[in-house]
This record gives sequence, C-alpha cells and structure tokens, in this order.
Amino acid sequence: MMYKVVIGLEVHCELKTKSKNFSSAPNEFTMTPNIHVSPVDLGLPGILPVVNEEACRKALKTAMALHCTNPDEIVFDRKNYFYPDLPKGYQITQVTKPMGIHGYLDILVHGERKRIFIHQLHLEEDTASLEHASTFSLIDYNRSGVPLIEIVTEPCIESAEEAVQFLEDLRDVFLFCEVSEAKSNYGQMRCDVNISLMKEGQKELGTKVEMKNINAFNAVKTAIEYEIQRQSEILDRGEKVIQETRRIDEDGKTYSMREKVDAIDYKYFIEPNIPKIPLSKEYLDAIRKEIPMLKLERFERYQEEYGLSEYDAGVLSADKKISDYFNTVIENSEDVSLALNFVTTSVLSTLNKLNITIDEFPVKATSIAELVNRVSLKKISFDHGKKILYKAIEEKKDPIDLINEQHLEQINDEEKLLTIINNVMNEHPEQVRQYVEDGNTFVYNFFVGQVMKTTNRQANPNISLQMIKEELERRKQNERK
Amino acid sequence: MDYKHSTIEQLNEAICTGKVKSEELFNEAMHLIEQYQEDYNAFVTIISKYKKYGQKDTLISGIPYALKDNISTSGILTTASSNILKDYIPVYDATIYKKLKQAGAVLVGKTTLDELAMGGTGTTAHTGIVRNPYDKQRLIGGSSAGSAAAVSLGIVPFAIGSDTGDSIRKPASFGGIVGFKPTYGRISRYGLFAFASSLDHIGCFTRNVRDAAIVTDILKGNDPNDMTTLPDEEVCYLDHLNDDIKGRKLFYIKEICEEKIYQDSDENVKKTIETFHQTVEKLKEAGFEVDEVSINKELLNAIYPTYMIISCAEATSNNANLTGIQFGPRQDGQDINEIMFRARTIGFSELIKRRFVLGSYILQKENQEKLFKNACRVRRMIVDKMNDLFKEYDGLILPASGTIAPEFTHTSKSEKLDPKATVLENHMAIANFGGFPSITLPMYYYKGLPVGINLTGRPREDKDVLNMAQKIEDVLQIKNKVAGDYDV
Amino acid sequence: MISKEKLKEYANKLMFDMNEEEYETLQNEFDIILKQMEWIEKIPNIKDVEPMTFPFPLKNACLRKDEVGDYLTVDEVLMNTKHQVRDQVKVPKVVE
Repeated sequence: MMYKVVIGLEVHCELKTKSKNFSSAPNEFTMTPNIHVSPVDLGLPGILPVVNEEACRKALKTAMALHCTNPDEIVFDRKNYFYPDLPKGYQITQVTKPMGIHGYLDILVHGERKRIFIHQLHLEEDTASLEHASTFSLIDYNRSGVPLIEIVTEPCIESAEEAVQFLEDLRDVFLFCEVSEAKSNYGQMRCDVNISLMKEGQKELGTKVEMKNINAFNAVKTAIEYEIQRQSEILDRGEKVIQETRRIDEDGKTYSMREKVDAIDYKYFIEPNIPKIPLSKEYLDAIRKEIPMLKLERFERYQEEYGLSEYDAGVLSADKKISDYFNTVIENSEDVSLALNFVTTSVLSTLNKLNITIDEFPVKATSIAELVNRVSLKKISFDHGKKILYKAIEEKKDPIDLINEQHLEQINDEEKLLTIINNVMNEHPEQVRQYVEDGNTFVYNFFVGQVMKTTNRQANPNISLQMIKEELERRKQNERK
Repeated sequence: MDYKHSTIEQLNEAICTGKVKSEELFNEAMHLIEQYQEDYNAFVTIISKYKKYGQKDTLISGIPYALKDNISTSGILTTASSNILKDYIPVYDATIYKKLKQAGAVLVGKTTLDELAMGGTGTTAHTGIVRNPYDKQRLIGGSSAGSAAAVSLGIVPFAIGSDTGDSIRKPASFGGIVGFKPTYGRISRYGLFAFASSLDHIGCFTRNVRDAAIVTDILKGNDPNDMTTLPDEEVCYLDHLNDDIKGRKLFYIKEICEEKIYQDSDENVKKTIETFHQTVEKLKEAGFEVDEVSINKELLNAIYPTYMIISCAEATSNNANLTGIQFGPRQDGQDINEIMFRARTIGFSELIKRRFVLGSYILQKENQEKLFKNACRVRRMIVDKMNDLFKEYDGLILPASGTIAPEFTHTSKSEKLDPKATVLENHMAIANFGGFPSITLPMYYYKGLPVGINLTGRPREDKDVLNMAQKIEDVLQIKNKVAGDYDV
Repeated sequence: MISKEKLKEYANKLMFDMNEEEYETLQNEFDIILKQMEWIEKIPNIKDVEPMTFPFPLKNACLRKDEVGDYLTVDEVLMNTKHQVRDQVKVPKVVE
C-alpha cells in the first residue's frame, strides 16, 4: 500500500562567533581537549551566564532570513535534565520567546517551489562532547556553551528528497547570511528527523518515530528511505509502529535506541540570571538590512532579469561569494552576456583549474567589469580582452593596469590613425606608386602590417584597413588631377 | 587596643598611625578563632597564615574579615557546608572576593552556613551546628550562621553573608549585630553559589551601621560577569550617613505589629512588640514621621509559601550541577547514572532533598501554572503593594523577629515546615521578592539576648536606607556590642 | 495526599533517594505547602497578574560584546577530579 509520508526536522547549527554564548571562552573548533573552557562552561558553583550579543544578532538574522516573526525582547529559559555532557544540569535555551516563530523557507523540488514552514528558531548552548572508548567515556568541555540555533520545521516535508533539499538550502541560508560555517563533518550542523506514515485520506498523523543527531545529508536521505520502507512493511502487515527513538548505523539502517515511555518533563522556567533585554525596532531593522538576497531569489533573478540559462543561473547562485562577485561584475558592465561569458568561462574555470576560492582570485570584480566595458566599446578586441585577463590572473595584476602599462588599448581614433597611415605611406613611396599607377590591391595588407608594426599592434586593424583603402584612393585621385 | 569592640575606622586609624600592624590584628583574630571555634563552630576553613593583599589606602586595608563558605575563593576550599562539596577547591574568584583582596582586607576564614544556604537555623552544616554567642544552647539563625557568629563574637569586625529569605538579617537579629543586604544587583553575585537566583543577595555583617556603609561601598558596583548588576552610581554611602532625616516617612504594618494579635503569645513576643512601639515613638521624636499601614492579611500569610515555592524551584535547578562528575566527591558506580545518583544520595542531607523534591514538583508541567506561576504572581502582588507604599513612604520598619534566638530543639535540626509560622517571623522575605535594600540592627535585649529591628527601603536607594538606619542606631544607642558584654 | 511512591519517583528523577521516614516527612510537608497554596488560587483576578521572575525591571541590562576573555587552563578544568584520561574527564561508558 502507498502511504503519505510526514516528516518534521529539527536542525541544530553552531553559530560562528569569537566567544561562547554565555561565557567569554573562545568558540573555536579544536581537537585539543578542554582548552576552551571557562568556569561557566564547566558549570562550577557560583557561575552566571552573560549573553553574547553577536550570537543573538546572528540568531535574529537567521530568523529574519527564514521570514520568522521576532520577539519584542530577548528571554532565555532553563531546560532541566541530567546528562554527563550537560555540566550545569540544565541547558539555557528559549521556550517563552524564541528568536523567531512562524517562518518559512522556499525550496525547489523538481523545478517547483515548495514552501517548508518553520515552527520556530531559538538560540541555545551546545553541550560538552563525549568520546566513547571501549569501556569508558571521556568528557571534553570545549563545545560546552557554544552558541547553537535550533530550527524546528512543521511536519510538512513529504519525502527524503525534500528533506535533503531543505537541509541543503537551509545550509545555504546559514552560509549566505554568514552566521555559521555549517560544516557537518565538524558536527556544526546536525539534524533530528521525525517521521510518520499515514494512509491516504487519513486525518490524524501516524505514530512518530524520531531519529537523532544525523550529521551528513546523505545519511538523512538513506535513513528516511529506510524508515519509510520499514514502517510501510509494518503497516502492510497490519501492525502498529512503536513510538520510539531510533539510531542510524553506518549502512543507513535504523535500529531502536529506546522506546518512548513518557515524554521527559524538562521543567522549563525563565532563566533568572538573564534580565529581559528589549529589542527595539531600530535594532532589528539594522540587522534586517544586513540580510543578503538568498540563493533562490538570486537564481530566479539571474534568469528573469539577466536572461541567464537555468544552468548558468544555478552555477552562479550556488555560492554567495561567487554570486556577489558576479553581481558586482554585472552591475558595472554595459553588456550582460559579455560579462557572463567572462565570469563563467574565465573566472570560474580558473577557480577550478587552480583549485582556489573566489576570495583568492587575483582580479577584482570591478576590474573585470572595466575590461568587459572596453571590449563592448570595442576599445579592445574580445580575444585581446581574454588574453589580458589571463595575463592578469597569471601575474596577479590588475588587467586595466596591464593595458595602461603596455599601451595595449586599441587605437580607434581616426585622426591618430590617419597620421600614422600617412607617415607609413610617406616612408614607402614605392608601394603607394604600385597602387596609384598599377592598381595593385595587394599593398593593402602591406600597409596594414606596417601600421600594426609601428603601433605595436594597438591600431584597430579593421579601421586601419578601411582608412588605408581610402587614403590610397585619395592619393590616386590626386595623382590624376 | 580593644580589638573586639573597635570599629573599622578605629582599626584603620590604628594601622595608619602605626599603633598596630595588620598582622597583629590577624593574629588577634586567630587567637579568638582558637578560643571560640570548638564551642561555636563559626568556621569551616581557617586561613592560618597571614597574607597581605592589595591597596593600602582603603578603610578596610589590613583589617581581618570572614567570608561565608558559599563564596568562590580560588585555591581555598569552598564547601557550601555540604558533603557534596566537601573537597571542592574553586579555580576562580567571586567578584566580591576580588574586590576585598584589592581593597587590602585580610581573609581569616570561610564561615559555616546552613547546607547550600538553604535553611534558617545554622544547624544543617556538614561540619555541625553553629551556636549563638550569647547562649550556647540557642541557635544563631541562618543561613549565614558562621558569619553572624564571627562578628557577634568579635572575631572579625565584618563578615560577608548571603541573603535569600532573611539569611543575613535574621541571624543579625539573633546575634545583636547589624546585617545589611543592599538592593538586588547592587553587589555582584558572580561566585556566590546560587540558592535561588532571583532572590539571592550578598550583604554584610558589622557591629555598627557606619561599618556596614564602609563595607558596602567596597562591595558594590556593576560587574560584567553578572548581567543583573545595577549601573555604578557616583555616591559614597559613608558620606551620607548623617544627612538630615527630618520629614522622612516610615510605616509599619498593622497586621504584624498590633499588640492584640499577640495576647496569647509568650512574654518575649509581647515585650518585642511593646519595645517596637516604644521605638516608633522615639523615632518620631527624632524627626521621622511614622504611620501604621494596613495590608491584606492574606497577602501577608502568602509570603512564606510564596518564598518556599520560588526558592525551592530555583534551587532544584541551581544545584543540578552537583553530581560528583567534574568536581565534588566522585562515588563509585556501574554506570554514569549510578555515580550521579550515589553522589547526590550521599552528598545531600534530608532537608535539602526534601526541598529539591518540592521544587521539582512545583516545576512539573502539570503543576507549574497552579504552583510556580501562581507563586510568581503573588510575588508581584506583594512587590506592587510595597512599591505603591514606597511612593509615599521612605521605608518600612518592623521587628526583625518576634523572639530572641530559639533554643535547639529536635525539630530545628531538620527544620520541618511549621504551619503556624507567623508572619512576624517570615516577613523579611518581602525585601528579597522586590530586591529592596534591607537592614537589621539591634533593638533591645530580652533577658540579655538581642532582638533586632528591620528597616526596608526603596529599590536602588541604599544610601537612604543606610542614612535612616544610622539615625535609628543613634536613637537606640546600641552598637559595637560583642557577645559577653552582657551576662546571660 | 501524594503517595510516597510518587515522591520516590520524583526524587529518583532528581538523581537521589531518601529513606522511608524521610519520605513520610516530605509527604506531610507537601500537604502543608499545597494547602497554603490553595487559597492563593482563590485570590480574585490572580490569573490577570503577570508572573514575576525578576525583582524589578533592569533598564541598563545589556548584552556582552563578542570578545574572548579569561578562561581556564586544562589543569584548572581538571583540578577537581582525579578521574582523567588524555586531559578529559573519565566516566563509565555512556550508553545513549
């Protein structure tokens, strides 16, 4: 039988800040244990939390980017439970007033927009990390207190594919907003999956199975697919799915961790050591101004406004920095298709070839735009422009400086060209005579060659040829008179 | 010189003029500790070696003092008088300890408290009971029992305590000394082992109001490690102690002070109420205006349960870090839960466990609205009522307790809840609810044992409370007393 | 009245146990405090009052600038436990 799949995700993401959420110990990934720990992170008696403004800003910013409603004040709550990775015996989190509620993120599934509703986004602190040996475990408190946002979706995701697409796009939101590096291999982005199956037409949700702490996106995919299969088979047999928490093994199979007897009562209450901090409209507006255009908007804008192909739009919107670079080129260029050509063929291929990031790319976006403009105004030829660009990349120089240094700019000025042509013709009376008297048109190329030689190949060859023809003809007419 | 009866300023002058050395004062304190420790048990840890700290130009430089053993002192054992922390050596300093070191004060020891500061008797410390300097058969009150005893015995001219319900101001009453807790946030709590964070205050014990102002001037101030601290103020409390109080308006609560309520009570309570009314008359003569104000009796009856509910709820969470994993005695166990379970079962005494269960029950999802939130609502009603009265009045005066310090009984050890506990004995928690500055000073002696008077003022107006307290002290003329000055 | 079994369950969730007699005392204590709370519910319009979580509003409260400050050395982190391996706190194997 076919079942309707209902998936909700809880995504945790560590924020990139200099210090921790409630202490001033460094927030920096390290393999050396217990070197980034303050008394606060260790939960020593007498400690008090002091809230990091940057963590709040980044949580609010992400909430805004996800179209959430922000609270009127910052409030934190305590979530009370005992676990060896939680030194205080409670986690400071947000229940009363999360940084964002009721938001959404639009994703593209098979070219169609799907809106994933966000239930809430809140700011909390990460736990210490446990390393498991064969007979014992070790506690490293470096991660304790690292600012963490949790994003909870509504149960509106309907397939493994949608879930993974959402996670990828959500990671892009983190990256585009520059709130986190969101490296799942460092555990900076982790995900809990809630999944239930229901018969078509059924109204109430099926029994929910929870899968905790999945780091890699493809693991999310295989785990969901495995669960759909497993739960379908149970339902097909007419049996009931048990409400439980399951873990994923290396093959992507899930197995039972514990049955959910009753929900843990976390005894939430407002953290009394953190006074409520009002959020003014000005403060929130200033943060909102920092939110860049997100991936999907850029992707659509590139196609609609600039007429880029879906492929090019996809490539250029995938990475914020590349996209920003491209935007700068486009905004300063007269000719969009020429700019696109320069960025996709020259810039992107160089990044690939040299295996460098756009930050390391030696030529500024504004210089590319200037180069593009010179080509589009025919001050230099297309081929020449490309050659200059590659030379600039190779020598790590500004292409416009190169043009100026080597006087590489094309001579299009007809007056200037005429002077040069006249000089050349005066130096070669024999070749002029051949045309005037014998009508020998082979001398055209001779004179073009001479003009190019004298001008260090800067003369516009087409204009030069035309003018040489005219000048020779003029001299021929004069001779007849 | 008469160390035991000297004020801070007298000691400071003696040091500055070279009449006495700081080390000699320290040795004097050590001598007194040796003399009294066995009988009164005021200290958990005694700093036996003299060490000179910090600045020389403060009034407390070179002067001995004691810290309650729930204040974090790097490298010095800090137990909170609980078995669960009996071997804990902090690796950081409380903000106030830093300030006291910088001011040059000399720490002589860490004082005994009710386990984890949760208690009002001074009888629940893991190192045993603290006795009242005026009568060894009586308790001194808590939770800042050792600090109160140390000052009352004359061991130190000042000691630091913490106050969540009345933990400074009640033992001050029973010890015949001054106990002051300023406005919530005036003194940083960073490094104070939390009992109930929204009610916890740090304060001091001294033998006169002037010394309380001197010590508070040192301790106060905004602290980047405590978000709840108030901004710094450009005022020195000491400079304003003798401001004119003419026209200052005080009130007392009719439902607590009416003589007819206590017709059936024992002589002690009757005498306290009588003395209180006499004091009111004296204060009027001295220039205060004093009014009787009536407050809904039911609201007053709610003070104690409200205090219990809020403090137990916060306490159960605040002490969830005590598991013997990263600090404190580690117990054996097959698995991690057994280790934590055994550490806590062995480490906490019965009273503490009962309060934790109560606190946890209060916070349970199905009870939160009815118990915790309602208690928080009553808290607001009481505080709103007080703030309303503070629009007209500068302060509230009441007896700090109805009786002298009680004798040790079988029940006081476990401190079971007394349903008949009167408002008279529990009203001082009002100042914790609203963060009001509140001070207790000696009012009279009943059969040679002290009873205090309490003054509570507007939030942030610590200067005015100390100023008014100074005037009350001038009127009552009881100061610089040390146990033994009167024969029991 | 809350059963002793329930109280034991609550205590165990807080990671400790008590003896019979202590549970009995606790049971009585619960009785008293719950009775005292009962009339609070009867205060007119109590539900209209906003629960107070802080003694007074703090207008000056501000967030901390994101800067690294003082923190502990590894030795300080581990100072209060003998149970350590490879600069970490050792506990029996934690099974999730």
